[in-house]
Amino acid sequence: MDGLRRPLRLVAGIVILAGLLAALAFPEAALNALQLPLLAAFSTTRMVAAYLLSLVFAIVYGHTAATNKRAAVVMLPLLDVLQSIPILGFFPAALVFFVATFQGHPVGIELAVVFLIFTSMAWNMAFGVYEALTTIPQDLEAAAASFGLRGWTRFRLLAFPAVIPRLVYNSILSWTNGWFFLVASEIFSAGGTEFHRPGLGAFIAVAGRNGDVASIATGLAVLAAVVLALDIFLWKPLSVRSERFRLDTATGREIPHVPGPYERFRWLPRLPRLRRDVFARLQPAADRYHRLSHRIDQAYSAHRKLVREVRLVDLAMFVIVFLIVTITGLVGLVQLFLRPLPSEAALLPMAALLSFSRLAVAYGIALAWTIPIAVLLGQSERASRYLTPVLEVFASLPATALLPVIIGVSLVIAGSIGTAAQLAAILIALFSMQWYLLFNLVAGVRGIPDDLRDAARSFGLRGATYWKRVLLPAMMPSLLTGSITAWGAGWNALIVSEYAQYANRLYVVPGLGSLLNEAVYPTPNNEMLILTILTMIVVVLAMNKLLWRPLFKRATQRYRLEV
Amino acid sequence: MTDPHPLLEGKDITKSHFENGKEFKVLELVRFELAERDFVCVVGPSGCGKSTLLRIIVGLEKPTSGEVLFEGHPIRADDPQVAMVFQSFALFPWLTVTQNVELGLEAKGAPPEERRKIARKFIEAVGLTGFENAFPRELSGGMKQRVGIARALAIEPLLLCMDEPFSSLDPLTAQNLRDEILQLWANPELPPKAVLMVTHSIEEAVYMADRVIVLSSRPGRMVAELEIDLPRPRNRKEPEFYGWVDEIYSLIV
Repeated sequence: MDGLRRPLRLVAGIVILAGLLAALAFPEAALNALQLPLLAAFSTTRMVAAYLLSLVFAIVYGHTAATNKRAAVVMLPLLDVLQSIPILGFFPAALVFFVATFQGHPVGIELAVVFLIFTSMAWNMAFGVYEALTTIPQDLEAAAASFGLRGWTRFRLLAFPAVIPRLVYNSILSWTNGWFFLVASEIFSAGGTEFHRPGLGAFIAVAGRNGDVASIATGLAVLAAVVLALDIFLWKPLSVRSERFRLDTATGREIPHVPGPYERFRWLPRLPRLRRDVFARLQPAADRYHRLSHRIDQAYSAHRKLVREVRLVDLAMFVIVFLIVTITGLVGLVQLFLRPLPSEAALLPMAALLSFSRLAVAYGIALAWTIPIAVLLGQSERASRYLTPVLEVFASLPATALLPVIIGVSLVIAGSIGTAAQLAAILIALFSMQWYLLFNLVAGVRGIPDDLRDAARSFGLRGATYWKRVLLPAMMPSLLTGSITAWGAGWNALIVSEYAQYANRLYVVPGLGSLLNEAVYPTPNNEMLILTILTMIVVVLAMNKLLWRPLFKRATQRYRLEV
Repeated sequence: MTDPHPLLEGKDITKSHFENGKEFKVLELVRFELAERDFVCVVGPSGCGKSTLLRIIVGLEKPTSGEVLFEGHPIRADDPQVAMVFQSFALFPWLTVTQNVELGLEAKGAPPEERRKIARKFIEAVGLTGFENAFPRELSGGMKQRVGIARALAIEPLLLCMDEPFSSLDPLTAQNLRDEILQLWANPELPPKAVLMVTHSIEEAVYMADRVIVLSSRPGRMVAELEIDLPRPRNRKEPEFYGWVDEIYSLIV
């Protein structure tokens, strides 16, 4: 257990040190902080529950879409829409639904929170499963077929392993999204009332509202410790292990392949002994799993007809549910537009433009600092060793948790409340967007093959020519991947960034996010709620279809690194 | 000879890697000289460090001890008098054939019209006229390596270094390209003044080189330096040709 002890001590040390410092500085807040471990446990449990749900959903949905062509016709466009719309737009609507169904009982609120985190995790994982399954090399599919792999055996030996690298990669993204939503959803207002579930997110939000600096600091420290501990003990070992399942068609030459989120973990210890320990412990479970899957295999081939019927029923149920949802949705929309639009609807175009401009400014700032830093980190092993841990600690804090700090800083910088609110809205968007850009770009720089670097050096490319001919083109695909994710996160951040509470005061700036909030609280206005969500969907879908997709296609064709 | 220095001089090049405090020798005391109009091949079994040797010669890596002198001065990686052709072609996928060929000229700061003119000349010399605006991925392997060669020649280097330039090509394409390089080499109007090529194919070395340097396997030591005095063009079917191949074989095995 030596392997476990050292990093545990490290994390514990950081937490204790931060706690002691805080307790010495603010004795009355220290009492408050005693409940933090419990709150952290609550929050993490919510995350795990939502993640398990997402995992099951992603595998079933992705696998069905990949293997059933008829179902895919409906399932793919649906996933596409779900993936590109900002889920936080549904935030108030979903809450109203759950709270109303359970008549305000805590169970309903708890379910609502888990559901919201689920919506931030599931789609991108399902898409990852689908993409991994459809890009299995043909030779491998043919080999599987020729050895007669079918049903559960095929899933266990071919489909599931093929999916693992993408699933782990997308899970890391999903957890980052999840923390963002968790912090935002533990305390929320719906239907004119405010709901509150105990957790780290709520703790930080309440501290922010009261302007309690000490509690904000301890809350953030604990949150960072939890996120970093998960990185060390879960995601780093998983992502290292998942590399083994990568289906590379590359020939003998080794091409360094470092996908985005893994980049964050380069500096973390690999803990070989701990991993050996854990996997040795898991061996009995693995054996049981193999015996079970053998039995499933047998059952599967013995009752092939039954399996087919169950699948048909499954598909039929899916289609029915899908139709019901679509039809009720359409009917609702028609009803909405048959009546005259509410007078506030005139605000929507301007609000969309304002929100967009704020995100654009944040995106510009993010680009300006992440590109040079990514080049530095990608090219200098030394800079990477010292800088990455610092950046990773900052990146581990979701922008929603940083909200009180950001508003506090904005107040110091800006003279008036109004300017501070604008500045804070941009900064929150910046903090939601920049890490996706940074870590993707670093991976892009690191992905430049050695022979191209050598060629550039031996032909004497330097300075501006080197940037123009080598660095920028090589970064293009990862820049676009990062941008798409960053803008998605930016749209999601609107509802938090444009309507924030700090030290008993509201910081509101005009935009889609604040319109959404105002449609829910203090007086609910369902028409405006739906119209605002619709506007957001239209804007985001238009940007995805008209700007990002074509750019991404072009970039991957032109700047792809394998010749 | 008015110039006291040879074009290229390797002085006791030794290269070691260190892992966990242990020393792994890759190259040991390799020395050689190249004069103008020399075509030299370095052959050796795989893993003998011949690619490392080439990287040291062009200045992409530093030797652990010893030094490489080019016209009497320590070599620099970005020396415009030395050009490199890569086994993997190392073409920039986002640049057209012309832009790839112009790369070294652009780095030198040559004006666009001049760059274009020189690029056109060398694209024609390697027989790629008509593909000036194609991207590397649209070309076959043989054509890609032609771009690599044109790119190297375009900076009009004194020394051309090639790292297994034909190993990624199919045998037929490789043979055609070998003959074309020899034709270019036979024209004294065209650069370079000397060629240094690394290969694992003994036949290729005997077919192309004036001189063959034979390395042993790990660590790479110089086993022999042989003057191939066969008349050009050479015929692989002649017994003399096979005599040389057999001799080198026996040196390596």
